[in-house]
Amino acid sequence: MEPRPGEVILEVRDLRKAFGGVRAVDGCTFAVPRGKISGLIGPNGSGKTTTFNLLTGVATPDGGQVLYRGEDLAGLKPYQIFRKGITRTFQITRIFREMTVLENMLSVTGLGVPDPVARARAEELIAFVNLGHLRGEYGGRLSYGQQKLLEFARALMTDPDLILLDEPAAGINRTLLRGLLGHIHALQERGKTVLIVEHDMSVIMNHCERIFVMDYGVKIAEGPPAEIQRDQRVIDAYFGRRRAGR
Amino acid sequence: MTRREHLRNLVLLGVVGLGLAFLPHGLSVYLRSFALFTMMYVVLALSWNIISGFTGYTSFGHVAFYGIGAYACAILVADHGWPWLATLGVGAAAAAVAAVALGYPVLRLKGPYFAIAMLGAAEGTRVVATVWDGLTHGGVGISFPSTENSMATYYAMLALMLVTIVVAYVVGHSRFGIRLNAIREDEGAAEALGIDATRYKLAAFTLSAVFPAMAGGIQAYKVLYIDPPSVFFVQITIAMALMSMLGGKGTVIGPIVGAVLLYTAQELTWVNLPTAHLIAYGLFIVVVARFMPRGLMGFAIDRGWARKGMVH
Repeated sequence: MEPRPGEVILEVRDLRKAFGGVRAVDGCTFAVPRGKISGLIGPNGSGKTTTFNLLTGVATPDGGQVLYRGEDLAGLKPYQIFRKGITRTFQITRIFREMTVLENMLSVTGLGVPDPVARARAEELIAFVNLGHLRGEYGGRLSYGQQKLLEFARALMTDPDLILLDEPAAGINRTLLRGLLGHIHALQERGKTVLIVEHDMSVIMNHCERIFVMDYGVKIAEGPPAEIQRDQRVIDAYFGRRRAGR
Repeated sequence: MTRREHLRNLVLLGVVGLGLAFLPHGLSVYLRSFALFTMMYVVLALSWNIISGFTGYTSFGHVAFYGIGAYACAILVADHGWPWLATLGVGAAAAAVAAVALGYPVLRLKGPYFAIAMLGAAEGTRVVATVWDGLTHGGVGISFPSTENSMATYYAMLALMLVTIVVAYVVGHSRFGIRLNAIREDEGAAEALGIDATRYKLAAFTLSAVFPAMAGGIQAYKVLYIDPPSVFFVQITIAMALMSMLGGKGTVIGPIVGAVLLYTAQELTWVNLPTAHLIAYGLFIVVVARFMPRGLMGFAIDRGWARKGMVH
């Protein structure tokens, strides 16, 4: 399923969210191209995770729109958004610690398939992320990197169209990371859209086709990696001006 | 778990059920009633475990449903001449309605706030039973017409226990049960995986209310007299929780083992040391919480005697 050029799966328009006096997301606008791997970057506190939370219904926007395939997601609960085909992982993994790897996988709803089919799919994904030998182990007993893989695999149970990954590279070793990136590319080849929030610039620059840069709650730049690396506003946001002391 | 293992467990339950069905004929009245109360606590602990063990919402007010069932039975039999078995269904329905009405607001609370809200709800139900003279005869209580019913109540409790075990087993080994576990582990993450937590919690809460209500009805008919302090007795809630925790909450076998062990221990100490059983109870809580936070089943799992998780 090759997407038509320029086709958009998710559109964010003038998104706003304030926590008390802090405007975490302050009129952010961007459009995620379908069938590609995109990156969302920005300095600490620029509003990336809040944006993810607004996209997935964890937080409710104060204003603006989130359009998924043209449909406004405003006011939908996380489980409703999930059932539209959007899944996510968390910055700090949120696997179910006192449930086995297999049970973590089977907890996902909205598959619309009988038990044996769900189970076969779970086993397949567990093998896909190389956790087969740990399928009966408690999630909490896995290493952090393995927990990330489990959370990633769990997010794929429903065969979602849009996958949001919040800092997939953080806290895992290079070998696991290479594996994870391989899985992400495999998904893209199957027509899936991936949006990654990440601090690891090599991941972003080498694996994303399109990058959105946020600072102080707004998008300050957008483009392919080569362009972003040269963009003066991005360089300023990360190294210059206000953050010179850090 | 394979179909073969499920079948083996079903056969095992059938054998136990059959054994218990023949048991009362050879027993003294005291032992028969001891067996009945043990089975009742199995029902209560397993039910409590559905909301508090599987779903992680620790209820300190489950006796409310037990009391509602007891009152439904007493009012309908004593005042309206109903056949007592039919009243069990009414009690279960009343408890289900109460669970939905109560659960909708209180299941939004988490951790200790939910526990305390439930404690308050149970006390509130007791007060209502005390002051609503017209319906409940207030503090005077309700006496049943005297009959010999130790056999009838024994078999009713046995049937209820078998049904409760089957339901708990099916829930525990289903994707429904796995989702309840997910809510217990991390409700936010569960919702991000498509689980409508409100609906699942309400379903678990309602399910955990109906069996205690029926147990309350059977128990009321067994002792032939109820009043608010005896059926809304906070210690009954504590017993359900302790039994479930001792055996291993969040498992199916744990609450059964916990109920049998703890009720037997309680009966032995109560007979010999009338007040000391409360001290023993207290010590038990401390020891279990300190050394076996996940109960006997958790202890067994950590040593590799039982498998981790419910679904294999």
